[in-house]
Amino acid sequence: MAVIDTRTTGYRPPATEGLSAWVARRGAAFWVVSVLLLVMPVLASPFWLVQILAYSLILGMVALSLMFLAGYGGIVSLVQMTVAGFAAYLVAILGDSAIAQISLKWPWWMAAPVAILVATLFGTLSGALSVRTEGIYTIMITLAIGSAFYYLTLQNYTIFNGFSGFNGVMPPVFLGVDWGDTIPFYCLTLVLAALAYAVVLYVSRAPFGLALQGTRDNSRRMAALGFDVMAHRVAAYTFASAIAATAGVLLVWYQRQVSPGTAGVGPVVDIVIIAVVGGLTRPIGPFVGALVYVVLRTFSLDMLEGLGLDGRRYQLVIGLGFLIIVLFSPDGLVGIWQRLRERYRRSQDGRATQMRIGGGEP
Amino acid sequence: MSDFIARRPVWSLVIIIAIGILAWLVFSVWTPGMEAMMGRKRVFLSALFNGITLGALYFLVASGFTLIFGLMRNVNLAHGSLYLFGGYVGYSIGTLTGSWLVALVAAFVIVAIVGVLMQVLLFRWMEGQDLRQTLVTIGLSIVFADLLLWNYGGDTFQVTTPDWLSGPVQLPFVVALRGNGDAVMMTYPFVRIAILIGAIVLGVAMWLALNRTRVGMLVRAGVDDRDMLSATGVRVQLVFVMVFAFGAGLAGLAGVVGGTFQSLQPGEDTKILLSSLVVVIVGGMGSIPGAAVGALIVGLAEQFGSVYMPTYAVMLTFVIMVAVLAVRPQGLAAARR
Amino acid sequence: MSLVAATAGSVSSVPGRDALASASSANALELRGVSRLFGALAALSDVTLSVRPGERRGVLGSNGAGKTTLFNCITGDFAPSSGIIRFFGEDVTAFPPQERIRRGLRRTYQISSLFAGLSVLDNVYLACRGVSRNRFSLLRPRRDDTLVHAAENLVEAVHLAPVKDRLVGELAYGQQRQLEIALALSGAPRFILFDEPAAGLSPTERRDLVHILTSLPAHIGFIIIEHDMDVALRVVESVTMMHNGRIFKEGAPADIESDPEVQELYLGGGHG
Repeated sequence: MAVIDTRTTGYRPPATEGLSAWVARRGAAFWVVSVLLLVMPVLASPFWLVQILAYSLILGMVALSLMFLAGYGGIVSLVQMTVAGFAAYLVAILGDSAIAQISLKWPWWMAAPVAILVATLFGTLSGALSVRTEGIYTIMITLAIGSAFYYLTLQNYTIFNGFSGFNGVMPPVFLGVDWGDTIPFYCLTLVLAALAYAVVLYVSRAPFGLALQGTRDNSRRMAALGFDVMAHRVAAYTFASAIAATAGVLLVWYQRQVSPGTAGVGPVVDIVIIAVVGGLTRPIGPFVGALVYVVLRTFSLDMLEGLGLDGRRYQLVIGLGFLIIVLFSPDGLVGIWQRLRERYRRSQDGRATQMRIGGGEP
Repeated sequence: MSDFIARRPVWSLVIIIAIGILAWLVFSVWTPGMEAMMGRKRVFLSALFNGITLGALYFLVASGFTLIFGLMRNVNLAHGSLYLFGGYVGYSIGTLTGSWLVALVAAFVIVAIVGVLMQVLLFRWMEGQDLRQTLVTIGLSIVFADLLLWNYGGDTFQVTTPDWLSGPVQLPFVVALRGNGDAVMMTYPFVRIAILIGAIVLGVAMWLALNRTRVGMLVRAGVDDRDMLSATGVRVQLVFVMVFAFGAGLAGLAGVVGGTFQSLQPGEDTKILLSSLVVVIVGGMGSIPGAAVGALIVGLAEQFGSVYMPTYAVMLTFVIMVAVLAVRPQGLAAARR
Repeated sequence: MSLVAATAGSVSSVPGRDALASASSANALELRGVSRLFGALAALSDVTLSVRPGERRGVLGSNGAGKTTLFNCITGDFAPSSGIIRFFGEDVTAFPPQERIRRGLRRTYQISSLFAGLSVLDNVYLACRGVSRNRFSLLRPRRDDTLVHAAENLVEAVHLAPVKDRLVGELAYGQQRQLEIALALSGAPRFILFDEPAAGLSPTERRDLVHILTSLPAHIGFIIIEHDMDVALRVVESVTMMHNGRIFKEGAPADIESDPEVQELYLGGGHG
């Protein structure tokens, strides 16, 4: 099932491209954004740093996990947020929280890695269940798995503490730094998100990523070239789930709590919206989408009332915005950006050509 | 059915034995020993019938969903919103006119019109882009949910059962024996029996329409091979609009039904959608008999689960879904491709 | 770079020289009593044929004769309803496609079946990867990687070097057909199925195609489905004619061409 048209320009860099060549190709936008992100702690208030930026980076990571499967694999999986939620729960259950009768009080350097491992395994199994069916079923199956997880956490009190969930889940203190403090937490999130972004970019052109793109474009041909298509798809789920699980650990440290609503149907659908609005074709898309979403959500009340509308109609705004993007720019905000850049570049070329011919204006 | 038995003798035997045991449980008088082991027969019978009638409701919703997917490959995730919208509209019209039947028909017609608009204004421009259509339905469901919340608020509504349907009816199943040896017969709300009969009638009518009419044949051909359908020269878009309208109308009608014996509130749209997903995954996509089988299984599983293992009722449904996916991913009633 | 060199050395999981020697008495491809039913339609009925290693066979017949279904059964897109398929002596009837490919079978498609979102070099690289180890490798290949070299050599051999970094979606039709051939020549193929490789090609391109097919190394056998008699009869040593899902005649190209039954049924109003 082809997701979105992934063809952008006609040129593809060879898989053997080295780091220096890649750096040389980066445009102005990359450098501006990177520098901004690095100096943010100096410029922004704690609210902006954590509630907006760090939260966007975390949601962006979960959406990146979805984008990896959808953009490179043609698999639209809605289970990524559930994987993140599961990892969040596991940190609370295995580590320390205010729910003393359930939490096992493992140290964070045991709880977090185990949480990521188990949640990744869960994601892999979900993938194994959905790969044997036609592409469009994946959305249904993963949504059903996500909702089953929600009801499990809601109704089970022995492990998941039901409706209340877990609170008092604190980020660790390590190397003399409280990683729950504003600047350390922002840095931690930034580093992990940047790492996830870089790994996705790198792997996309490694044999694994290329093969995955092959299964997206033409799975029948992949089998006729000697690839085990099912195995590749399940492996893709494993890779994506590892990213989502890591984001889940960050999420529970950000919220200091986890409850059934963390991975309910609402958040699950929100991640799809973030990924699609940002753009499923490039790994930066999910982060762009996450930032837009978080800003809208945080300021919607003020924005709507400023326009004289009912402040509680936030969901309506999100839904309409999402519809507009899907109807008019299916490759999301990143797609709009790329088209604008193409048009700018073409007009530049046009003017340059005119000047060479000697007939145009400077 | 005869070739089903011929092809799968072992499964047929298992099913026959299971039905036999079920019949014995239902019709016999339970001894104190049995009651000690399995709880009271009244509870069992009520769970059984609640499950079957809940299955009837799920069938109404899921059959529309599966028809739309089967023909147009459109996973309509706004189906739950159509259900809730139909329920609310039915409630409003019911309180306005005082007639349950009028509400039922009006809900069907109004939601069918919404379905026509959706297909004509949106989906026909995205022919073949399955994922994009599904994303649009997600967006629509969010918009609808908020509009409904805005208009009807967060209260719970219930559609009043009309007088001619209310009251209990006696069924020929013995619940227990009184001290003097007289049998206590089971009583059950008439409205639920009526809805069950209605769903069966509707299901049979749909099956007949699909298998015995020309339009039905076109729809079935389109489900198997969409390109072939356009090759027959028939106006494909017209067939699509009709099917979408019918599917949507069914959801609206189901909303009134669900509003009668359950309730209507924000969040019902998501719940019914998720149940429909499991029903069609278990039963098989694009298949009306599949929707019936799946609805029955899911309805029974949910009711028996909530009575006998309340904490894990949802997990039972989920385990069934996982088992079907692992063993027969295309669904129980679907033809093996 | 010649085709012989391009198709010779790549890391692959094809059995070693000894296994090849012992299997040399076996046919490269053997079908016995293969049938394939689609509901009530018998697309293939009791097809029995054998092809020796290195043999060049043509399968001809009108549309609907079952030729593409035959290929689909051989590659494993679906299992036959009955019958056995052997590849170099091994029973592959129940094997999924990737297992057959890893044993040296290759195929081209009548309608180019390529990876539109990837570059030409990526496409060929994937084909080389598919039959080698480390398909799941998360590490990018280094500049001196053997498989990358093999892919580049192959791209050169089919004259696509100038466009090797272009997206496949932007290639001309003839170039896409050349890429189809390149994919089939990757790794170390032992037997190739060509499905109407000349379809839609200009006369010059057809001459190129004939040249490529006739200069393939001698140990690589192939079956070619083709409607263009000029191309087909120039590259094959034997012909199998199919009609209504059955094999109805086999023989040397000249004999088939002059056979009256064949002329009536198929060559009818002149060929070309």
